[in-house]
Amino acid sequence: MKKKKSYIKFLFFILTLSIIGSAPLPGEERISNVRYEIWVELDDQNKMLHGKENITWHNNTRDDVQDMWFHLYYNAFKNEKSTTIQESKEEWFGEFGIEIKEGRWGWVDVTSIKLADGPDLKPTMEFITQDKPVHPGDQTVMRVCFPEPAKPGEEVHLQLEFESKIPRSVHRSSYYQNSYFIAQWFPKPGVYEEGKGWNCHEYHLNSEFYADFAEFTVHITVPEDFKVGASGKQIKTVPDDEKKTVTYTYYQENIHDFAWTADPDFIKVERNFIADKEVSLEEYEEVARMLQLPLEEVKLPDVKMILLIEPEHKRQIDRHFKALRMAIKYYGLWYGPYPYETVTMVDPPFRTRSGGMEYPTFFTAGTRILTSKKVLSPEGVIVHEFGHGYWYGLCANNEFEEAWLDEGINSYSDGKVLAVAYGPSAIPMSFKRIPLSWFCKLPEYYNYELERAAAINVVELDPITTVSWKFHDRGSYGLNVYDRASVCLHTLEGLVGEEMMLRILRTFQMRFRYKHPQTQDFIDVVNEVTGRDLSWFFEELFFGTLNFDYGISSVASKEKKKYVRGVFDVDGRKEEITSKRIKKMEKEDKKSDDKKYYVTEVKVRRFGEARVRGDTVMKLKVVFEDGSEEVINWRGQERWKKFTFEKPAKAKYAQIDPDNIWLVDSNLTNNSLKRKPSRKGIFKVATELLFLIQNYLQCAASLI
Amino acid sequence: MKILNTFEKGFQTTNKRLKMVVYLWLINFIYSVLLVTPVYFLLKKDLSGSLMADQIIKGTSLLWLGDIIYKYQDVFPALVGWFLIPGIFFMLLYIFLYGGIIGRIAAQDEKMKMTSFLADCSKYFFTFLRVFLISLVAYLVVFGGIHSIISALFNLWKKSASTEWPLILSSILEFLILVLLFSIVRMFFDYVRVRLVVEKSKKTIRATLLNVTFIGKRFFKAWFLYLLVGLITAVFGVIYLAVYQLLPKIGILLIVGFIWQQTYVLSRMWTKILFYSTEYHFLNFHKE
Repeated sequence: MKKKKSYIKFLFFILTLSIIGSAPLPGEERISNVRYEIWVELDDQNKMLHGKENITWHNNTRDDVQDMWFHLYYNAFKNEKSTTIQESKEEWFGEFGIEIKEGRWGWVDVTSIKLADGPDLKPTMEFITQDKPVHPGDQTVMRVCFPEPAKPGEEVHLQLEFESKIPRSVHRSSYYQNSYFIAQWFPKPGVYEEGKGWNCHEYHLNSEFYADFAEFTVHITVPEDFKVGASGKQIKTVPDDEKKTVTYTYYQENIHDFAWTADPDFIKVERNFIADKEVSLEEYEEVARMLQLPLEEVKLPDVKMILLIEPEHKRQIDRHFKALRMAIKYYGLWYGPYPYETVTMVDPPFRTRSGGMEYPTFFTAGTRILTSKKVLSPEGVIVHEFGHGYWYGLCANNEFEEAWLDEGINSYSDGKVLAVAYGPSAIPMSFKRIPLSWFCKLPEYYNYELERAAAINVVELDPITTVSWKFHDRGSYGLNVYDRASVCLHTLEGLVGEEMMLRILRTFQMRFRYKHPQTQDFIDVVNEVTGRDLSWFFEELFFGTLNFDYGISSVASKEKKKYVRGVFDVDGRKEEITSKRIKKMEKEDKKSDDKKYYVTEVKVRRFGEARVRGDTVMKLKVVFEDGSEEVINWRGQERWKKFTFEKPAKAKYAQIDPDNIWLVDSNLTNNSLKRKPSRKGIFKVATELLFLIQNYLQCAASLI
Repeated sequence: MKILNTFEKGFQTTNKRLKMVVYLWLINFIYSVLLVTPVYFLLKKDLSGSLMADQIIKGTSLLWLGDIIYKYQDVFPALVGWFLIPGIFFMLLYIFLYGGIIGRIAAQDEKMKMTSFLADCSKYFFTFLRVFLISLVAYLVVFGGIHSIISALFNLWKKSASTEWPLILSSILEFLILVLLFSIVRMFFDYVRVRLVVEKSKKTIRATLLNVTFIGKRFFKAWFLYLLVGLITAVFGVIYLAVYQLLPKIGILLIVGFIWQQTYVLSRMWTKILFYSTEYHFLNFHKE
């Protein structure tokens, strides 16, 4: 009995321990620790926003928090002292940077900030510039101090009033004529990280965003003829006949940003993604098998799709919806069901420079009036930006510090979706805005091919994991975090297999939904799911700047000599084998139909500094003229290694990485070497080049 | 004489001078081969041993193209120079060749001989060089002046655009105007050269001034004739593209593609002579 009692005690002890161990920190179980209610009015005449904002912030850490830091992104466009514009001036290119013409500046003023229970915080308000190098005049980060620290588990209720001048035709958020795209427009708290303080970076040229998950209720008042789209669901519409305005109320929980758009010309189209129509049972079964999940877990929900499109692009409505359907389907099947009820896709208003950008449940695509069906535009941008709903929207990494986690993974993912839904795209070339694919067949490509061609050029500039504003330049930022990261993930796929890669990404997505994962979290998931230690892969390719290039440096086959010259001891006497004698013996051998043997020597080289490690090896395949093959593994640590084969045939060619796993290899050409070179391909290139030169010369002659 | 009759005469003259088409093609071909040869050997050295070369035959892939770009990125400026400077020399070569082309058209009753062709080339080289220098002034006025004004007007339109349409239309219209302006200047100096040959003169300024009156009096007729030949050039281009796309580009059929490309280059030479033949007959007919 006693025994029994102590047994029960023990069970209780374990149970208590487990409760204590898993006891949520104050608010830990919440997805959203911020609640916003915002009232904003668009002043079309003066291009202004007048807003009121109630913020409830929940301290879900163990720290006493004494202050609060806010992003005031619109101040990036206030003057030339802002970090964004300073960084833009440091770039070598003008067109893609930010240059604001006079009279087009934008800014945000917090006119009032107080705690809901009274105390005015405005006297404590100051601008912070902490990112290095320091740009002292920047006003995109604001700090206010609380009279009393917010204790763990406490809520802080803030009331703000602000007014913003909308910048014209700049970076992501702006107006042009009477079209508006409004993003990063309201004072938004940074992310408080336990033990570290506020993570609240300035608005950098090369970075996107980071914020806590929140619940948003936003009331948008616009002139009555405007059509509006926004993050979340539209829950209320209140017209004001006197003021000739309409107030639209949008609500969404578990998102970390809120953007909206208003334009009287928009055509608004709504369609539904009906999962049962889009996905067959076979497809569900196949995905469930690949992911090793029960069928029910891979089932997709229906989603309401909203499109706001400019009238001149009306003919492309179906194209937009098809791309969105494909994205919802494949992202949903592979990485997890889309958890929100709506997704709004915006054809960005002309000259608002807001295209190709993601916001939770809301994104901008981007197209042209003259398009070709052979070129996957706008499909590419639609799939990519929707995909950010997963990588950044749900798995909400810090885009300032680890942009590759969403851009890289998403570039990899969108390439996979486009490939399966559409196949390759023609190269988007146009002349005077007229697509050239209307007139001739242009080369086709898959995303990963283009990404690789771009990525190999920046490997030695920066590690992929560099913080966004510290890349060598904007080109290195873009090519590293998007293209190179994607190419590395394709390589990882080659290494672990397609199904394993799916499981990695699915696990990462579902485990870190509504959380802020970091690079190490991704590495941990890779190691856990594969059951291998692949940390070296990331050290070598993500954290480093080492060029990866393995290749074949020589292939030679020589007939194996049965006889060699010299003096030999035979039966206690010296016997000389001469060339003449060898020839004679060889002649006799021929008569006896002895097979000839050849010694093939293949030298492989590690041309680059990067190397494979862990349990990974480089595969070497040698194909012989009789059709036989030899496959050998090389650990790939040395600078070079010689492999020797003895076969009854000469080698035809040798190839390292015959399965094309190592897409990161900067020189795929030297991955294979034929014993006898062939000129066919070279002849083709040369004749094409010759023809080009002939025409170029004729054109030159026509100028006189 | 009606324009179409002039065109017909020009057509006949051109066909009498087919040997000249071959000369021009040969010059172009040899010159181009000389330029391409180092690139060929460079590619051969780096690619011929690789299985990637087999991919090249299958068509353009960004995998091998990416490799080439990456490999030769440091050589690109030198390559641009390698093609740009010979391009300028080729223009000078054509200043030389124009003498032969127009000289042999003017001597249409004579038999076509390489020696007389070259004699005409050297006879008019310095005269035509002066014409070229004068034409540079005209190009400067047209493209530096007139085109800038037109461009500024289009920019006003584009600036206030509410959709992409004005951008598309203005960019096409601007290009068309540019082409038409170019065709006028080009045609004008063609007639200067033809006049100098017909009059066996070396007085370039006088010929230029006379040409102002000549073209001024019958501008539209002359321009129509010029654009007609231009249209034929464009049609040849379209036919070339349409057929080339249908040609399989594997194995021995690569040769067929190569022959078709050279046929197109020949057609460009033929139209070049056609331009001058029609201009020659037009000038002769209207000469005061």
